Amino acid sequence: MYPRQIPESRPASRLLYATGVWAVLLLWLMPVFAIILTAFRTFEDVMAGNYWGWPTEINFWGNLTAVFTQTDMLDYFVNSLIITIPSTVLVLVLSTMTGYVLSRHRFPGATLLFSVFIAGNFLPQQVFMIPVRDLMVSLGLYDTFGALIIFHVAFQTGFATLFMRNFIAALPHELFQAARAEGASPWQILIQIVVPLVRPALAALAILLFTFIWNDYFWAIVLTQTDAVKPVTAGLANLRGEWVSSWNVVSAATLFVAIPPVVMFFLMQRHFVAGLTMGAVKG
Amino acid sequence: MTRLRLNRRRFLATSAAAGTACLGAPLYAQTRELVIISNRGNPDQRAALEALAKEFGTSAGVKVSVNNMDHEAHKTAIRNYLVASPPDINFWFSGERMQGFVERGLFSDITDLVEQNGWADVVPAMGATTVDGRIYGLPTAGLLWGLWYRQDVFDENGWTPPATAEDFFTFGETAKAAGMTPFSIGTKNMWPAAGWFDHMNLRINGLEHHKDLMAGRIAYTDASLMKVMEPWTELVNAGLFLENATSYAWEQAAATLAQKKAAMMDLAGFISYGFPEEDRGQLRFAPFPTYDAGMGRYEDFSVDSIHIPAGAKNPEVAREFLTYFYQPDTLWSYLEPDGNLPARTDIDVSGNHIMSESKKGLVGVDGTSQYYDRDTNPDVAQAGLKGFQEFMARPDRAERILADIERARARVYGAL
Amino acid sequence: MLRNRRKLLHRATPALLLAPGLLLFLVVIVFSALRTFWISLHVWDGFGDMAWAGLANYVELWGDPQFWVSLRNNVIWLVVFLLAPPLGLAIALLVNQKIRSMRLAKSLFFMPLVLSTVTVGVIFVWFYDPTYGLLALIFDAFGGTAPAVLSSDTWVTLAVVFAALWPQVAFCMVLFLAGLNNLDEEIIGAGRVDNARGWQMLRHVVLPQLRQVAFIAVAISMIGALRSFDIIAVMTSGGPFGSSTNLAYQMYEESLFSYRFGYGAALATVLFAIMMVFIVWYLIRLLRDERGA
Repeated sequence: MYPRQIPESRPASRLLYATGVWAVLLLWLMPVFAIILTAFRTFEDVMAGNYWGWPTEINFWGNLTAVFTQTDMLDYFVNSLIITIPSTVLVLVLSTMTGYVLSRHRFPGATLLFSVFIAGNFLPQQVFMIPVRDLMVSLGLYDTFGALIIFHVAFQTGFATLFMRNFIAALPHELFQAARAEGASPWQILIQIVVPLVRPALAALAILLFTFIWNDYFWAIVLTQTDAVKPVTAGLANLRGEWVSSWNVVSAATLFVAIPPVVMFFLMQRHFVAGLTMGAVKG
Repeated sequence: MTRLRLNRRRFLATSAAAGTACLGAPLYAQTRELVIISNRGNPDQRAALEALAKEFGTSAGVKVSVNNMDHEAHKTAIRNYLVASPPDINFWFSGERMQGFVERGLFSDITDLVEQNGWADVVPAMGATTVDGRIYGLPTAGLLWGLWYRQDVFDENGWTPPATAEDFFTFGETAKAAGMTPFSIGTKNMWPAAGWFDHMNLRINGLEHHKDLMAGRIAYTDASLMKVMEPWTELVNAGLFLENATSYAWEQAAATLAQKKAAMMDLAGFISYGFPEEDRGQLRFAPFPTYDAGMGRYEDFSVDSIHIPAGAKNPEVAREFLTYFYQPDTLWSYLEPDGNLPARTDIDVSGNHIMSESKKGLVGVDGTSQYYDRDTNPDVAQAGLKGFQEFMARPDRAERILADIERARARVYGAL
Repeated sequence: MLRNRRKLLHRATPALLLAPGLLLFLVVIVFSALRTFWISLHVWDGFGDMAWAGLANYVELWGDPQFWVSLRNNVIWLVVFLLAPPLGLAIALLVNQKIRSMRLAKSLFFMPLVLSTVTVGVIFVWFYDPTYGLLALIFDAFGGTAPAVLSSDTWVTLAVVFAALWPQVAFCMVLFLAGLNNLDEEIIGAGRVDNARGWQMLRHVVLPQLRQVAFIAVAISMIGALRSFDIIAVMTSGGPFGSSTNLAYQMYEESLFSYRFGYGAALATVLFAIMMVFIVWYLIRLLRDERGA
């Protein structure tokens, strides 16, 4: 592993190192602390411009209750899971397949196809708002989970293909040569060699995709209209008013909405270990 | 777009036919439904609307669903849903913003409903939802714009609100001498600067001129506009406004008023959100000072409204709902949490301090416009909002700014 | 016979693997993108009839001062966002230790990417607030007056990009964490035997192996710089007086506030053309690199 690991035999150094990291982290998370602090404030406090001082009155429970009573946050939360989980899984599957083909098979037009995936990825989303809406209406999917899932899968496949292609391309050539020499089919190579080796990449990709899809609000506005299919970001937006927003309540909601992606990251981390497997396969 | 709507209809028809075939009877016809889309942000008002909808549902035997969107997102969403899949009832704004949809036939004509109920007699703002003599929505409430101040601060200093253009400067000097910003304003979101323009233009050039300007019939490079920009420049150069205004949203600007660091602020009744509960009783409304003694009193009065989209699937239920919703008691319970002035004049607002202040302010008004970005085409509005924000920070650029807005006007309304 | 069929299947597999992702992408994204180009040749308010305008939108764009402001700001965005990959790598190196508390630390470093942009924008606005902001409080403590950065047409874009950089660094960190765990242990081991240390090790042994990931990180940061608009909407609405817009924001404003979809689409097309430069550069580098290897 790089950087060189501090050996377990030197607990003092390890402690010192960890302390240093946490000190950096404290600085890094300054804005998060501001959000937490705001989640503890009262509305009057925020309106009076007390953004950085200690809350004049602790109102965390009030704000948290408001999050769930002012809008159907839990329903939206479930909707978001219904949208995000299948989308993420589908993108992972599709992009592993496309990434594998584009990195390991030479055929005419491969570069062109790859550049189409990259190019589509570079497009700013709001420009194809109307074409996509029209497409979903004509498919009869407007205002359904399906519309959001299909759009997210299609759009994220661009980025994910780029990502997976590069990771698979970085795997050693000899591995594939050996497998082919043994008569393995492309499908076998994909499942038995590629997938186990790119586990860290898949984990990282899963985290990112989950986060992007989870945080989307724009497409929720464009493709849905009834509360029954809207994601959690709509719940968050519902807390904002025409003239004034209770940022104290919004902050509490922001923290709540951020939980699933952070938990996801925490859980996915254990897949960030692959060096071993790689050596084993090669040996 | 019609093609799409047909597609959607056909899709619905096909699936309905399939449903009928399966079940043998059109089950869905027996339950009456109503779909409402609302853009109300105030949680209390949202709760009030849900309660009303529920009550209506029980008494009329209708399955009602209320879908709420945040205000800004709704502006985008309405253009999607009115075309793709309209609800039965939706909330929107009257005036120019409504007219665009009316011209495309996206809102239902409810003139007969209004006549049946005699609503026009108690709703002077009905003109705001009228296009070519036909009515396309019901005004729910209005926001009256003017200068708000704290009574206690004015009492302590022995001040009275400025009444004429000259007072601007004398009042400004006294306020500054007392260590206060004379007029608080936060232009980060741009519209407050455009609101100030509305006041100035209505006072100096009058309502007809303003309406013509908003409708694109007067060029922004017209000499009459400089008659507004020049005195406005004097106000800015006299240092009457909050410094670094472009850094603040209206809330931050209002905080200075609440904390007695500023004397007055141009806003509507929602200013009360910026005040702690116990201070709200101190808020007073004063009309914008006069520039021309012979000019009538014209004000910005922005009217929100409720509509039945043309493609509503349950128009009859929607009409029933409007009839219920527009009863004085019901309308009051919907509006009370937000503090905007009810469009119906037969509602007693004396129980609400902010509403009463607005109501008093409305007495003696000779005519109303709505608000800059509600009165003119969105494209021009965007150019104007940006321009007036720039003007308040760099008044010396007035001519270039007006030329910029004129470009947008000419593009939309054509050369004059 | 059976053998032949199997062979045929082997041949067809790549096509079959590619098909679903590609089809979906073509139908939803590429088709919509082409329609965007088509829209850019029209005057259209988003839901009436489209009126053919030829290249008029592009001609207007050329003479639109706002367009040049946006373009200049996009350069600032691009330059600042190039800091994201090295910073992300630095954090990834920092936390890539098998120490117990590092798992939690990693998750927390990741947090900025998760938080709603609106809330992050508001917090940064509060940071810059000239009266109540943290910046103002700090300046006050030293007896100074804080600059109103969000009111300054010179500094406003930098102030906004700085806020946007924060989640972008977290993004790059995730990429590099994945990359660092895909390193070839043997080469690292060999490097250690050769007594390569610290910086040298990083430059000559580790970075070459991270090249693919670094490519992604740079590309994604470019895309981020060119595509971000929501944080501008929250922090400044493009102001003061349009001095903090970038192309993506201007397009958002033209399409969704001014309802000029044709003009917005023209902006998108130009933005896309600029991006094409990066895409082509990226592809050439990537392919040359792979051939070399």
